[in-house]
Amino acid sequence: MAATLKRMDVERASDDLRRRTLGGISRTLDRFIYLASTRDYNTGLYYHDGLASRFSTDVACEALANCHRETFHQLVAAPIEDLVNQMQGYMASSQSRPQDFVAVWKGLEPYRVAVPVETDPFSAEFLFSNFKVALAIVEERLQKPPQSIQGA
Amino acid sequence: MILLVLFVALGAGLLVLMYLFVQSPEPRAEGGAQALVQARNALSSLQTGLLPAELVERVFAKDDLRFVASSAGVKVQEVFLRERKRLALSWIAQVRTQVLSLKEFHSGQSRLYARLDVRTEVAVALSFASLLILCRALQATFYVRGPYAAPRMVGFAIIAAAKVCTVFEHSLGFLPRTSAEVLRRDSPGPHVAA
Repeated sequence: MAATLKRMDVERASDDLRRRTLGGISRTLDRFIYLASTRDYNTGLYYHDGLASRFSTDVACEALANCHRETFHQLVAAPIEDLVNQMQGYMASSQSRPQDFVAVWKGLEPYRVAVPVETDPFSAEFLFSNFKVALAIVEERLQKPPQSIQGA
Repeated sequence: MILLVLFVALGAGLLVLMYLFVQSPEPRAEGGAQALVQARNALSSLQTGLLPAELVERVFAKDDLRFVASSAGVKVQEVFLRERKRLALSWIAQVRTQVLSLKEFHSGQSRLYARLDVRTEVAVALSFASLLILCRALQATFYVRGPYAAPRMVGFAIIAAAKVCTVFEHSLGFLPRTSAEVLRRDSPGPHVAA
């Protein structure tokens, strides 16, 4: 009974999160990075003050984990073309120089620590590979004007 | 005298047979739970991580290939093809590993838990054999001709692996997935939030 009630609370909290906080973030990639940033590196637990005050810390944690898994699967299902567009949008909104952004993402591969816990290894491997290709395309577009790439 | 020798030889033969029977390796109950959890994990890994149609379709989707070919330079196209080949090889190697794990469980432990009739046993053995051959053939094809060379073989492999998984669902049916997950979570690992 208690488990059912908690599950219902988690569902309500997840809906609340999708509607309020995540509703204001248009790109899946941005939502993914945001949700990963709400997770403590040491404990693996997610924190969100607003959500915890409306529900409870546990329920908020599970709701954030649910939404994180959801966005991860959306990114895995996204074609590379979509990932490239999302990455360019994210880069433009990051206030860093595009060249620096590409260098840091290539060097540090920050997306590797952004996957949800217990993600199946092959899905994660596939997403990392797609990010790598998308980043290579973004980098190439920064170096060459689009028409010269089309002609290559 | 001849009769005596015959009886002694017969008795000795029977003793040898009895000794061999006692010494023959039998599936042991010790470690059975561990093997069962490993089999359930292999099954879960196949069903949720390696065989879902949407994931496999994405890996072998040609729309990504078309996009990269039309909008990126040669170097990026090479990176893309190298990555997809690596993924395809990794995918089929993981499928093969999990299928081998199920096969080992089946030959070593499953008789302790589930009674399979001879026809099912033969069908399962044939399914394993054909699936493992198919995995090897796909590995060779991906290696030599790239990830997009054998879409129909990929489809056959998925169907064959799904069939094996269904048979195992029945033979492992008495151990619900949740129990196996609880056992798996009890083992040391990263802290799970949800």
